[in-house]
Amino acid sequence: MVTVSIRELTKKFGKVIAVNNVTLDINHGEFMVLVGPSGCGKTTLLRLIAGLEVPDHGRILFDGEDVTDLPPYKRDTGMVFQNYALWPHMTVFENIAYGLRIRKVPRNEIKKRVKWALELVKLEGLEDRYPHELSGGQQQRVALARALVVQPKVLLLDEPLSNLDAKLRVEMREEIRRLQKELGITTIYVTHDQEEALTIADRIAVMNMGQIIQVGTPYEVYRRPRNLFVASFLGRCTILWGKVLKVSRDYITVESEGHIFKGIVPSNDIKVHVEEGVALVIRPEDVSLEGDASSCNIVRGVVDWISFSGDHLDVKVKINNSRILLTLDADADINVGERMTIYIPYDSVLILPAKGVYEVAYAKEL
Amino acid sequence: MSIRAGITKLARKYNLDSFILVQLVLVVSILVIFLILPISTLLVKAFVHEGHFSIKYFRELFSDPEAIIFPPRGLMIRVETTYRYEILPNGTRILIPEKVIYIGKMGPDFGYLLNSLFVALMVALFSLILGVPTAFIMAKYDFPGKSLFSILLLVPMLATPFVNAFIIGKILGRSGVLNYILFEKLHILPYRIEIAGLPAVILIQTLTFFPIVYLNVYAAIMNIDPSLEEQAENLGAKGFKLFRTITWPLSLPGIAAGLVLVFIFSLEDLGAPIGLSGAFGHGLHQKVISFIIYDEFRKAVGGIAQIYPTTYALAVFLLFIATTGFLSIKKYISLRTYAMMVKGTLLNRRIKRISTIRALAIYVFLIPLVFISSFPQIGTVILALTDWALRIRPPLPSRFTWEYISSLIRDPSVFRAILNSLTYSSIAVIFIILIGTSASYLVARSRIPGRDIIDALVTIPIATPGIIIAVGYLLFFATYFAGTPLSPFNNPGLLLIFTYTIRRLPFTARTVFAGLQQIHVTLEEVSYSLGAGRATTFFRIVLPLIQGNIVGGALLSFVYSMGEVSTSITLSALNPTQGPITFKMSQAIYATAAVGSVCIAAALGVLLMILQIIAISISNYVLKQRVALIGV
Repeated sequence: MVTVSIRELTKKFGKVIAVNNVTLDINHGEFMVLVGPSGCGKTTLLRLIAGLEVPDHGRILFDGEDVTDLPPYKRDTGMVFQNYALWPHMTVFENIAYGLRIRKVPRNEIKKRVKWALELVKLEGLEDRYPHELSGGQQQRVALARALVVQPKVLLLDEPLSNLDAKLRVEMREEIRRLQKELGITTIYVTHDQEEALTIADRIAVMNMGQIIQVGTPYEVYRRPRNLFVASFLGRCTILWGKVLKVSRDYITVESEGHIFKGIVPSNDIKVHVEEGVALVIRPEDVSLEGDASSCNIVRGVVDWISFSGDHLDVKVKINNSRILLTLDADADINVGERMTIYIPYDSVLILPAKGVYEVAYAKEL
Repeated sequence: MSIRAGITKLARKYNLDSFILVQLVLVVSILVIFLILPISTLLVKAFVHEGHFSIKYFRELFSDPEAIIFPPRGLMIRVETTYRYEILPNGTRILIPEKVIYIGKMGPDFGYLLNSLFVALMVALFSLILGVPTAFIMAKYDFPGKSLFSILLLVPMLATPFVNAFIIGKILGRSGVLNYILFEKLHILPYRIEIAGLPAVILIQTLTFFPIVYLNVYAAIMNIDPSLEEQAENLGAKGFKLFRTITWPLSLPGIAAGLVLVFIFSLEDLGAPIGLSGAFGHGLHQKVISFIIYDEFRKAVGGIAQIYPTTYALAVFLLFIATTGFLSIKKYISLRTYAMMVKGTLLNRRIKRISTIRALAIYVFLIPLVFISSFPQIGTVILALTDWALRIRPPLPSRFTWEYISSLIRDPSVFRAILNSLTYSSIAVIFIILIGTSASYLVARSRIPGRDIIDALVTIPIATPGIIIAVGYLLFFATYFAGTPLSPFNNPGLLLIFTYTIRRLPFTARTVFAGLQQIHVTLEEVSYSLGAGRATTFFRIVLPLIQGNIVGGALLSFVYSMGEVSTSITLSALNPTQGPITFKMSQAIYATAAVGSVCIAAALGVLLMILQIIAISISNYVLKQRVALIGV
């Protein structure tokens, strides 16, 4: 178990800055997820940690020891790739035993450890198969076993589940989470899937354009996004534009779309001022059809759009020129064109400075 | 920061380690000593006069009245009356006057510089006319017997150097097979016809080289993503419109690459001029650049001072044209492009079944093409197995014989030539595997600056005339290695190992590079992350995965080393006992007066063909694709 410290790391490919001055600390045994849209630099950051890319600037430390100039084979990391990268000319056993053979582990010990690793990933009995004889999920488990069997200092996973179908993906991410907790290996996991990131991580680093935008627990980054990019990238939300009317100790009062909203800033160090243009972020699950008038914004509008999603309905309510997204029970009896009154708790309206608005391009169309 | 730390940092930046360094040193040193320095020496010789830069020799070259003759001298078609002996049944001999149409014998003669260019342009043009339709038919239509044709179309590519030209010469000569059948027996022709000179060279080279255009265009069409054509069809294009707007423009790179290669191969070809010399003796077919340089080589036996420097200027002129051609298509023949083309062949093809009438039209085109173009190969077998060469009237074989085939083992000088070839080619292949694999690995996987130069250097031998390499070696090694085992006067055989290495390197380098491109780099990265260093990863992961490509490429390199002509016949002239198969063949056809020697050359040709068939079949099987399509 080691800590991984990344200090002012920068990597350019030609003119493109893939990783831009990133600093990040990962604790002993922590499960850190790097998440962001494609091209945000998350994979490059992972490869820099693995030693597969060489940084232009900055340091990488494992347990305080500088590994920046070490080649990948001296870093003692275990790596799992999106395409599994199983060697087609080797059996499952040989694939898993490879790292142990490199480390000159005695033959008997190798047998024992490979058996242990196979049990860990629940693949006992498949030692003699070749990779092409395995299903995608099984290949994924072999790749994982191969990385784990050498008991690396750091486990690095690059989009390990994106080649699996949706159901298996959910199953495997629970499995990976369980194994990681069981073994306590410091783990860095790259994904573009925000839902996967939220369910699997101890902490999440949200990246965009080569930089880390916010680091925090899944709860923090989801409930208290510090800017619009994080808010719109993780989960769904409605963004309204408004102007600050009043800043008090408890709430900030904002005028938007002809309504007065009360809301909060995600963190005390984020300051907004009267007259400032701001964004209001509202999660659909926080919007309901009833509530306590003393702690809720109450908004009236017209149902504009309904979409059936199996276990729930997505509904958009039009107020003025904007639409607020909410989710309702699947059997709720509503129709497009109906008038509707919605309740949004003050605590659930996040007020964010409107700067950096261009990043919202990534936000889902609402 | 200490020096050591600085070096570590730099090494990390370019991903340098001892393994890469060893490969780099190996590749660069071989390429420098055996490619760059010899050719540089040639350049220096051509451009330096009495210690100064000078274009004196070029001026002399271009002012040679035989170099450029314009307008051309001599008529291309000329009718003459000749007399032929006929023995009457009563034993009296009479002279019968006959009209003979000579095509090419007396002209045209543009002078040797323009002759070469004229021949090369014509060969490229005719290869285009034959190769492109063939490629479209084979790529786009399905008809009965297609797979048979796809094999038969490769027959003309089986190299039977000199013998092929000799046979064509014998067939087209005044008393050859063609005249015997069409004039004497069937009386279809009103006159005898003899095709010689430049037209004969053009004919032979076209038959030999058109498959290169065919294969390149075929590969280009096969690599067009079928969805591009489907999209066009979806938008309403079909038939000729589809062809003109989508298929043709997308296959243009393949056509261009094929044409330029054929142009260069024609310029450097020695097989046709020498083979025709065997059939017709001296004549205009010898008045081309490659033959003139070759002819000068015989003077070199007395030392390189015997060669007048305009010969070097002539070689540089040839090199200049070839290099210009190479640069114009470099984009399409680098390692990278080749790998891309190999990958593409996995797509699902769009092949049309066609009506019987169209199939008949295809047969009318393909059957004569296949028959005529593979006649040199058929003829070689007949020449080797019958008394054909000894028969003058009628010029047809009368009996079967093992005599010539068995002389491959019985005749000590022939057997020695075979052993020489096997030895040189085997050793060359070891070098080729080492350098080809290393070079491809460097280009594909390292981050060394300048790896594009390595890419260019291992592909440029495809387009470098062998005769240039021969001249360069003669100059470089005779000047700087006189008296050592590397002197061309002592051991031309040793140098041949290296000319084969350089000239046949591209085959292996390309197949290996294609293999590396198909291995996902993460397979190696996992190995690094598990603690294996560069060398371990190379031997345990990379090598097992590309071994098929190495074997396939090495077999091609081997077999085309066995058939290598230009450097083999020129350098060996300095010490004939070390001559390989092709040298023996050239001697048998051109230099030896004995009639049966032609048949021994044919027997050697049969041996070469068998080796080629075996090597290409295994190679195709291992690589699961057609042989190195560009630049065979």
